[in-house]
Amino acid sequence: MIHIEELTKRYGSLTVLDRFSLDVAEAEAVALWGPNGAGKTTVVRCILGLAGYEGTVHVGGLDAASRGKAVRSHIGYVAQELSFYDDMAVVDVLDFSASLRRIDTGRVDELIDTFRLGDHRRKRIAELSGGLKQRLALASALIPDPPILLLDEPTSSLDAHSREEAIELFEHLRDEGRTILLTTHHMEEMGMLVDRVVAMESGRIVTECAPAELADQLGLRVWLHILLDADSTAKARAALAADGFDARLNAAGIVVEVPAQRKGEALKVLYRAGVEIEDLEVWS
Amino acid sequence: MTATATKPTTGRSLPDLPERAQWRATLAIAHKELDDAVRSRWFWMWAIAFALLAGVLASVALPGSRIAGSASFGRTAASLVALVQVIVPLMGLTLGAQSIAAQRESGALRFLLSHPVNRTEAFWGFHLGLSAALLAAASAGFGAAGIVTAIRSGGAQAGAFLRITLLAWILVIAMLGVGMFISAFTRRASSALGVAVFVWLAFVFLGDLGLMGTAVATRMPVDALFFATVANPIEAFRLAALGSFVGSLDILGPAGTYAVDALGPALMPVIVGVLVLWMILPSVGAWIRFRTSKDV
Amino acid sequence: MTTRIVAVALLAWGLVTAAASPAAHEPQDLQTLIDDAAPGAVLDLAAGTYRGGITIDKPITVRSDGAAIIDGGGDDTVITIEAPDVTLEGLVVRGSGDTLDREDSGIYVKAPRARIVDNRLDDVLFGIFLHQAPDSVVEGNIIGAKDVFVARRGDGIRLWESHRSVVANNVVDGGRDAVFWFCDDLEIRGNRISNGRYGLHFMYSDRALVEANALVDNSVGSFLMYSKDLVLRRNLISGNNGPSGYGVGLKDMDGALLEDNLLVGNRVGVFLDNSPQTVGIEQWFRGNLFAYNQIGALFLPSVEHNVFWENSFVDNTVQVTVQGGGRFSGNEWSKDGIGNHWSDYAGYDADGDGIGDVPYRLDDLYDHLLDRNPEIMLFSETPAARALDLAARAFPVIKPRPKVEDPAPLISPPAPPEPPFDLGVRPSAALLVGSLTMEAFAATIVLSTRRRRSLG
Repeated sequence: MIHIEELTKRYGSLTVLDRFSLDVAEAEAVALWGPNGAGKTTVVRCILGLAGYEGTVHVGGLDAASRGKAVRSHIGYVAQELSFYDDMAVVDVLDFSASLRRIDTGRVDELIDTFRLGDHRRKRIAELSGGLKQRLALASALIPDPPILLLDEPTSSLDAHSREEAIELFEHLRDEGRTILLTTHHMEEMGMLVDRVVAMESGRIVTECAPAELADQLGLRVWLHILLDADSTAKARAALAADGFDARLNAAGIVVEVPAQRKGEALKVLYRAGVEIEDLEVWS
Repeated sequence: MTATATKPTTGRSLPDLPERAQWRATLAIAHKELDDAVRSRWFWMWAIAFALLAGVLASVALPGSRIAGSASFGRTAASLVALVQVIVPLMGLTLGAQSIAAQRESGALRFLLSHPVNRTEAFWGFHLGLSAALLAAASAGFGAAGIVTAIRSGGAQAGAFLRITLLAWILVIAMLGVGMFISAFTRRASSALGVAVFVWLAFVFLGDLGLMGTAVATRMPVDALFFATVANPIEAFRLAALGSFVGSLDILGPAGTYAVDALGPALMPVIVGVLVLWMILPSVGAWIRFRTSKDV
Repeated sequence: MTTRIVAVALLAWGLVTAAASPAAHEPQDLQTLIDDAAPGAVLDLAAGTYRGGITIDKPITVRSDGAAIIDGGGDDTVITIEAPDVTLEGLVVRGSGDTLDREDSGIYVKAPRARIVDNRLDDVLFGIFLHQAPDSVVEGNIIGAKDVFVARRGDGIRLWESHRSVVANNVVDGGRDAVFWFCDDLEIRGNRISNGRYGLHFMYSDRALVEANALVDNSVGSFLMYSKDLVLRRNLISGNNGPSGYGVGLKDMDGALLEDNLLVGNRVGVFLDNSPQTVGIEQWFRGNLFAYNQIGALFLPSVEHNVFWENSFVDNTVQVTVQGGGRFSGNEWSKDGIGNHWSDYAGYDADGDGIGDVPYRLDDLYDHLLDRNPEIMLFSETPAARALDLAARAFPVIKPRPKVEDPAPLISPPAPPEPPFDLGVRPSAALLVGSLTMEAFAATIVLSTRRRRSLG
């Protein structure tokens, strides 16, 4: 559905995307993951024709460079910055969006209900909270009932509850058979949602894998902060060291470095050694 | 939470939307721009200020009207032209300068262009919507002056008045185009506004002062002086307006006489032509720039 | 309604006349009627059209009440008067020839004491031509010109060596001039002259009294040349915007008095060329309103001995100036401690005597530059030119020598002279409709934006 080949984007001497290639199959959900500045957002913008580029981008067999309008007509897009027209009312923004897609306002009312924006119909965009804006952005993106969704950090401005709700919605959209390409740096949230993760850094692909394999692939490590009875610390450190873990003393316990996917192993070691754990925190 | 009412569209073949610019999208964008403009404070500020000033001008020129209606009309027209010369370009320039740059800065432009619209539709949509808003503001002002004049001073020169209105329309769209040209080349709305105000100063004051200075210091030949003056769109407006209510430009001293002699019947078409070029070229330049600068 | 009654009355009268005169269906030949008339006879013409080319060679009165039409058929002069004491009254005269050097006229008078009264002349090259016809009266006539290119037009009224004549209450539209050659002691009063070349044109005609005329929309309102002691009083002189475009032009004049005239909206209010021409003669300009002219008063260099007082100079683009620059030395801008009112006077009157406490000085920087660089007239009335003056006032680095100094400027304008005609306010339907359309257009655009659903 989305075919990207040798995509390169430069701003002056700065190369943001460097021969980036990616294929997203129909009904596939793919996450672009990586730190800020990795080039995730730029990929999305190139697909939408919001940025010039070198290389090839095809969407549904259409060249994004020469057939931008057709390509965009199949895409629902949620932008990271959630910018609309600050002085317009919610319903007017959606109506405008619908009119640009030649869709009548009945669809807008439907989506206002779906996204529980009814109480905010006449509010100016500038008065909306981040969560409401996010819902508005999704409503706007779904107006054309698009086969493709581009979601740029779609949960970044949500609180924990809304975030859960949003992910549930995305899962539903995925299950309907839509093609989804999203960007995130909270991989753990998106793990259940996407079929594949593309990890990026400095405009290149670092690795591609299933979400569950990501941490391993990247050799990610976390730190377990284990709170113990002061008397047990020495025993715990010895047991961990014997199994090859690096455990250091901390004010209220010990800190153990472990591979992200193997946190349980360190705990097993302690259990076997008979160390009683009072509490536990994971630092990443 | 169910997002869609219909079954999704995975298997469907994607409809083929033509890439060329379409009226429908342009009009939708124009309408949105116009709505925003009309709902904004500046619009009412300009429209009311202009209408009041124009109406007041028409009224103060009237004490002489019982004595000589058409003569005081000349005075009304001259004052109106002077007012238009200052206010109308400022309206057009600032509004145009804000347009693209402000939307780009706020990110709204990205929202717009993520829809199935192309740059040409977006640009001319902005242009059309803002033009309509400006024409409404200008017409309200001219209408006010016209009503006062028509009732109280008679209008042997209704035609001249309507011609001046038409010229002011062209001027305001020309200035909008210049403003949008500035906007298309500037990333920040505030710097676009700054440039626009400077350009306004240059058109209204600096250009004329420079030419006066040059003429005084170097005995510039009248033909060069005349053409350098007409090249300024605001001066082209003034000269065309003057021509339409005085009837001839030879009241403007040697340079005016030169123009009348050298260009003969082509004089007014040339001046109005300059104005029309100003209406077209900066807009087209802004459009080309907007279309070709891919990054939003 | 009124028209219909008049028409019926005319018809009835025509029938009565027809009963009296069997040939009335084909009016009799006017020349025959005149030839048959005895000197001193009064011919009341029946309604109808009479052939022109008439010559009147005896002192008779020919009259009608506007129903008798004398048609020249487009050839030669329609009526020629060769005897003194002829009266023409209430006739319609039309269709002269169009040959300028043959002086084809509507009415051509060659003898003294003619009375040409209340006639209507249409489609004539010259209208009323008095040639050596002193002590005549031309009054209440309405004169329309041939519709030909301006260089081929004749004069609506032309007097030649016809001293002491009176030209009053005529309406002349189109044509060339109302011109007076070698006519002394004329009285020109209450005429309305429009759309011609020189409204009133005096050549070598002394001591004329020109009063309460309206000279509107001509190329020049009144051109006074080579004449002495003319008095122009209470005339309305407006919208004279031709290539020279003077309200009143004075060339080689002596002793003119312009008093209480309204000089409004002309290219130049008053133009002075070598006037007065004789040493020791003064000319006086008192109580005139110079308003809305491009130039209030324009002097050629070295014009002297003109005295201006109690005039108002209101909103002329250039109030007064000397062509080619320079100062008005040798002219006076006040008399006996009374100056003029200047709309751009920036002084004050602390002692409340109605006279400004500081002199009015015309010393605009732009104006000053304009004198030496007339080409920058191109910028007159631009915001830039005004800014230049403001700047010069705020930072008086360059202080031009004032070209006019009125030592006793009047704080408030003298009451404007009563116009001789109320040109009236003619509300313009076209402009009103146009303006309302503009407002409707603006309103439509604004209202078209009320469709947003957030407003519903």
